[in-house]
Amino acid sequence: MFHGIDPRSPIPLYVQIAERVRLAIATGALGSAAPLPSVRQLAAELRINPATVIQAYRDLEAQGFVEIRHGAGTFVRELAPGRRARERSQHAVALVRKMLAEARRSGVSLAELQRALDTELGAKTT
Amino acid sequence: MSDTIQIERLHYRAGKNFEIKELDLHVPSGSIYGFLGPNGSGKTTTIRLVLGLLRPLSGRITVLGLPMPEQHARVLGRVGYVPEQPHLDSTLTVRELIDFQAAFYPTWDRVRAEELVQRFELDGGSLFGRLSKGQKAKLMILLALAQRGDLLVLDEPTDGLDPVVRRDILSALLTYVSERGATIFISSHLVHELERVCDWVAVMDNGRLITEAPMEKLKQGTKRLVVFGAPAEIVNPPFRVLTRESANGGGGENWVVGNWEPAMTSYFEGVGASVRDVIDLDLEDGFVELLRSFRKGGTGR
Repeated sequence: MFHGIDPRSPIPLYVQIAERVRLAIATGALGSAAPLPSVRQLAAELRINPATVIQAYRDLEAQGFVEIRHGAGTFVRELAPGRRARERSQHAVALVRKMLAEARRSGVSLAELQRALDTELGAKTT
Repeated sequence: MSDTIQIERLHYRAGKNFEIKELDLHVPSGSIYGFLGPNGSGKTTTIRLVLGLLRPLSGRITVLGLPMPEQHARVLGRVGYVPEQPHLDSTLTVRELIDFQAAFYPTWDRVRAEELVQRFELDGGSLFGRLSKGQKAKLMILLALAQRGDLLVLDEPTDGLDPVVRRDILSALLTYVSERGATIFISSHLVHELERVCDWVAVMDNGRLITEAPMEKLKQGTKRLVVFGAPAEIVNPPFRVLTRESANGGGGENWVVGNWEPAMTSYFEGVGASVRDVIDLDLEDGFVELLRSFRKGGTGR
């Protein structure tokens, strides 16, 4: 779930971690009541500051995705119907924005991008 | 939150050629504080001053709320220190060194020491002098952690070690922080390693502090800009100009700025210029640009 966390990215590590957890919840990889790794475990595994993990979990709690039970751990909450789907579409939008920004930076035109997208998706363009 | 290490207007001189001037540092309690700087910038000297091993000419040093070097005996009982060079007797075995160290600290944690011997795969019967560089470093970390201090001061703890040993050491440190909430002050020039773990960073060069900031602030605030049409003289910019040079072809300029915020592009519009691109820098790029700017005679902060 946390593969490819990038400490060199300008996106703070706690934001990256929270994003990964949100995505795992959105795709169902983490179901309701599933436990997140303990702060200590995740910090040691990713070799990052425990405070960073704590901040990510607190943000997730504030957004209503998880519940922090003191002494017991952090668990995925029961989500309102549709929330997972909404998260997934938000993630899709983020992916497209990232692609567009990259295209702009490297000088790829929108038409070229559209063609590549169609080809990759196997769509017929006649 | 209070500061575990507080340094104010510190001045120290060693011989004619090296001095630490006007040094102010604040290491917040519970932070992992990265102390960066090229070789010879004064990192080790500062650490020795913090530990009361050197006496400043003037200024104030407070560690764990107590003045240094006056209270060094009380302070050092609560500080785990890993010096740059191993200082242990090479004719003693690993086991003997652990027992020897344990005798000095009433707070000694035998269980943790044993657990770390296993985890680091150290052989209790080996002579210290026969250990590999990585094993020596692991033993030094073990001794500092088992002492159960409130502050760990680590001087280049992973310098010159292979990646496997570096990971083992870093993981052990982070586990310790999770459990104890201790403060870690770690000097290094392995920027990427610090980038992962630190929440505060200070940069030294030539005996002076160039910057001290929360990691995220430093990273978010340091950018490379591609600027067109900027006048030669700019007055009171809201950001800090670290470097400015013409780009290769195209007529634009590359700027590296500090304390940057996205809304500041409007400053350039105000002086008839435009920002074509804002490029993120990682900690290493930011560090190198800060040093370059400082050495060119920039104002520092």
